[in-house]
Amino acid sequence: MNTDGGIADADLFGMAPNASPLAFYAPDGSRGDIYADAPPNVAAKWDIFASAIAGSKGIEDYLRRHVEDLGLGYLLTGEEQERPWPLNPMPVIIGAQEWQRLEDGLVQRADLLERVIADIYGPQQLVADGHLPAAAVTGSRDFTRKMVGVPPSSGHFLHVYCVDLARGPTGEWRVLADRVRLPLGIGYALENRIALSRGTGSLLSAIGARRLADFFDAMRGGIAAACSREDPRIALLTPGRFNQAYPEQAHLARYLGFALVEGRDLLVQDSKLFVRTIAGLKRVDALWRWMNARNLDPLAFDSRSEIGVPDLFSAWAEGGLITANWPGAGVIEARAMSAFLPRLAEVLFGEPLKLPNLSTWWCGQDWERQHVAENLDTLMISPAFRGAVTGLEDGRTRPGASFTGPAREALLQAMERRPMDYTGQEVIRIGTTPCWEKGHFAPRSFTVRTFLARDENGHWCMMPGGLVRLSQAGELRTPLMSEGDLSTDLCVVDDAPGAKVATPPALSPPAVRRAAKILPSQAADNLFWLGRYSERVQMTARVVRALLAASSMQSAQQVSGTVPDRLAGLLARWGVIETTEGTAEELAAAALSDAQRPGSVPALIGNVRQIARLLRDRLFIDSWRVINRPMPGFVPLDSDSMADAAERLMERFATLSGMTAESMSRTPAWNFLDMGVRVERASLALQATLEMVPGHASGDDLTALLDLFDCHYLYRNRYLAIPFIPPVLDMVLLDPDQPRGLAFQVRQLASHIATLPTLRADGMPEPPMRAVRRMEMRIAALDADAVDHATLEELLQEVLALSDAITQRYFLQREPQAGRADKPSIQ
Amino acid sequence: MIYHVSHTSRVTYGAPVDLARFAIRLKPAAWPGQALRDYRMVVSPQPARLTEGFGPFHVNSTLVSFDAPLEELVVTSEFRMEVWPLAIPEDDGTTLAQVRAAALQVGELGDFAPAQFLFGSRIVVIEPEICAWAAPMLADDQSGILGAIKALCAEIYRSFAYTPGVTASDTPPVDAFRARHGVCQDFAHVMIAALRAYGIPAAYVSGYLRTEPPPGQPRLVGADAMHAWVDVWCGPSIGWVAIDPTNDRPAGEDYVTIGMGRDYADVAPVDGVFVGSPAHEMTTAVDVIPEGEV
Repeated sequence: MNTDGGIADADLFGMAPNASPLAFYAPDGSRGDIYADAPPNVAAKWDIFASAIAGSKGIEDYLRRHVEDLGLGYLLTGEEQERPWPLNPMPVIIGAQEWQRLEDGLVQRADLLERVIADIYGPQQLVADGHLPAAAVTGSRDFTRKMVGVPPSSGHFLHVYCVDLARGPTGEWRVLADRVRLPLGIGYALENRIALSRGTGSLLSAIGARRLADFFDAMRGGIAAACSREDPRIALLTPGRFNQAYPEQAHLARYLGFALVEGRDLLVQDSKLFVRTIAGLKRVDALWRWMNARNLDPLAFDSRSEIGVPDLFSAWAEGGLITANWPGAGVIEARAMSAFLPRLAEVLFGEPLKLPNLSTWWCGQDWERQHVAENLDTLMISPAFRGAVTGLEDGRTRPGASFTGPAREALLQAMERRPMDYTGQEVIRIGTTPCWEKGHFAPRSFTVRTFLARDENGHWCMMPGGLVRLSQAGELRTPLMSEGDLSTDLCVVDDAPGAKVATPPALSPPAVRRAAKILPSQAADNLFWLGRYSERVQMTARVVRALLAASSMQSAQQVSGTVPDRLAGLLARWGVIETTEGTAEELAAAALSDAQRPGSVPALIGNVRQIARLLRDRLFIDSWRVINRPMPGFVPLDSDSMADAAERLMERFATLSGMTAESMSRTPAWNFLDMGVRVERASLALQATLEMVPGHASGDDLTALLDLFDCHYLYRNRYLAIPFIPPVLDMVLLDPDQPRGLAFQVRQLASHIATLPTLRADGMPEPPMRAVRRMEMRIAALDADAVDHATLEELLQEVLALSDAITQRYFLQREPQAGRADKPSIQ
Repeated sequence: MIYHVSHTSRVTYGAPVDLARFAIRLKPAAWPGQALRDYRMVVSPQPARLTEGFGPFHVNSTLVSFDAPLEELVVTSEFRMEVWPLAIPEDDGTTLAQVRAAALQVGELGDFAPAQFLFGSRIVVIEPEICAWAAPMLADDQSGILGAIKALCAEIYRSFAYTPGVTASDTPPVDAFRARHGVCQDFAHVMIAALRAYGIPAAYVSGYLRTEPPPGQPRLVGADAMHAWVDVWCGPSIGWVAIDPTNDRPAGEDYVTIGMGRDYADVAPVDGVFVGSPAHEMTTAVDVIPEGEV
């Protein structure tokens, strides 16, 4: 983590110049600009912030670094590589009064949505009475019939509500869309704030911006309070690492202290939900789900779902599982619903909507269909529900005026055949906000996504902030970000600076605790393999470097002929290279660049990165950065350049293990990561010995082996002689004090396994413990003179058996075959 | 007429599968013109847990789960069913336009609510191609609904080849449509897709046909396995009308209904989840015999 933030801030944000840089800001007067319209007390805060930004040097770079530090990235649908998150330094600033009006409107709206959803899944009176057409409900894919008559365990269908807003030309706010399935962006709103506050020092508190932390506390408290157990276990259910929102989910889970789980981590037994952990099955009290309802349970909903949990339904119907939001709540998101909400507010609350949504006409009604057809040119045409319909094959909104000629005829005919598939909505002009671009402030149209959550009393609490999207086009085409969009923070400011902060709520500190949270089996599995692959990268780089060195010494006739061949044989044994044919330089180049070979350095690093992504919520950001640093460059076939690349890789991964050793809390997560390293090191030590000492070996072969294990100098000090086989084998394999040797690894493994929980109540050791003790005893009793080829092979088999025993005991034992495809077996 | 129905499905796995859980949808749901008697389901091996359930559409669903690895699953469903002939719906001149408008006005969300069967579903995607093909039968708003669905049914019967084995249970209707071949569920799916493309509610019905025809009548196609046909909502006065595109006839006294959903996926006889490789082999034997002939 960067520690220089505080010092640098003072330099970056010196005295503000007297004139506000916004003095020359010239928005289009007809569109409505939030800065231009701000009351003087709020405008003053804009000026303070703008001056600081304009007066700083390289604020963008500075923010970008903070964004990188936070590990913030996002995925565009269909892409695997994360993109850096575009954060603009100028937040949108809103005064307390204006915000209060928004909050009143949104709390009313959230209550309304809850009531409508409760009716749809309960008495269905609104439909029976004709206030809500049945097809406006059944048209939604999120209408989950199976949940009708299954009331939410917490009493609430909604715990988290996400809403998109736009500000119009006269300063009026409108709701653009309601989101209750996936609160996409809630994590980015948080991260934007953290990056901005780190990047701008005390500026946020100087303008009296409200904190976001209280909102997240309230949300967590709201979910926890609904659970029946005192200290509930809450899990965030993710569809997995290829999901667009995975980075966000990982961040949130870490920030909120929720377990990040996939469907296969979970298991329903007797209507109760459990997570598979290294300490057996552990009860889960609440789920924050980040997947669509139909994928949640392949038995109850869509049998094709591979990311859900079979029979989860029974945990809702009978098991009291708290779920945010309740499956099926998404029915309220349909555009068609917006057409009815104004009327439903009157019906249910006897009052109008305090905050209007876009005027919407659902064509499933005669008058509305005619209205839309006759006013096509002045309306936006959308699918009434998610998904493609005739004329809108990409499922996106289009201006009615863009339909001309035959396309217009086709649309109008389709609207006759299936009117319920279409809505018309008013076109609104979206207002602008100052955006810091290339050294000056320019108006960009913006929309706000903000969030409400229930607190522990079940009351709605609104995030005093949100995610602002800045776009040139002023359109909202994608759920989160489109190409070319920027984001920024939203600050709600109080008049008296820090008014809210001055009276902190009377918080009672949590009971002090040290115990680790649960470790899901799958996370343990991933940590173990992260350890194995990282060690393998390091060792492979080490052998490549040794090969290059041996080859150059050989050409100078300084080492015997067998060393390069044996090192090459070792690389081939590990699958780093396909063949040992070729010069050392050719082999090294292949080892460093041939990503097709499963054991090559780029392939191994690819594996490390893949697994690290699965562990995003558990890795330190510094480790994350080391892992994601690009491969060091080198000139192929240039011996020095390649040796240098190998060296840098070794250093990089040594840094990684150093960070693990120094900073990782000694929880089971650390145990598994380190066990992976130890198992790999033990296995590599044996394999290296098998290759370098195939029964006979020259002093050069033995020296090379000692070099691989960093004990050449030690050997010379201890024996004052050229290397001989028995003392070398003793040092590399049997001496328990050599940190790279076999005996040391086995001892470490034994101590790791001893600290891990046991499932047996009878006090008997579990299989991994038996396996490691057996190895420990055998090694302790071995005499270096007696170590022959067969002994080495046997010991190698024992290491593999130990690894299997660990897998069997702690990881998912009944994992589908497909799930293991990303972990090719390495010996 | 009383039928004795016996149905045995046998699923064999190449290697034992773990943590198997299945939803079995073989017990007939309550249905007009039908009375279920002496129902019996045997699941072998004995499941660790068995729960009787219903829905989410008009179908019974029995949940079974196994703790021990499973090599083979055998489900036998046996019952007697009394079936009465239903009155042939009287053509009161209801037009397609009237059905479409009425479907959007019925304020119901129940099992037989027309609004449930108006939209695309998991397997039945509403396709422009099928829509265009069905235009001669369905595009004229003023056509009578009963005439239109008979014409559509006849057109499918005429232009599609009944070819077992070329499609699977989840084949998208458009694939069967382009190839103009398939089995009962493909024909039902195509017919449903065509009707929904014109805003007419249409449902997928699963069940059985009597195995041997009454004397002097031809044996119906699909009689030795499960069968599927279509229920069309023809407006509030006529209601739901059952029609079988595989045999081009109304689904009457020779038909035993198990359940009704939006498409095959809602009423699939057996589906489930397990850990292991997919089923090696699946066989089904069905007998539907009038009681006197058992």
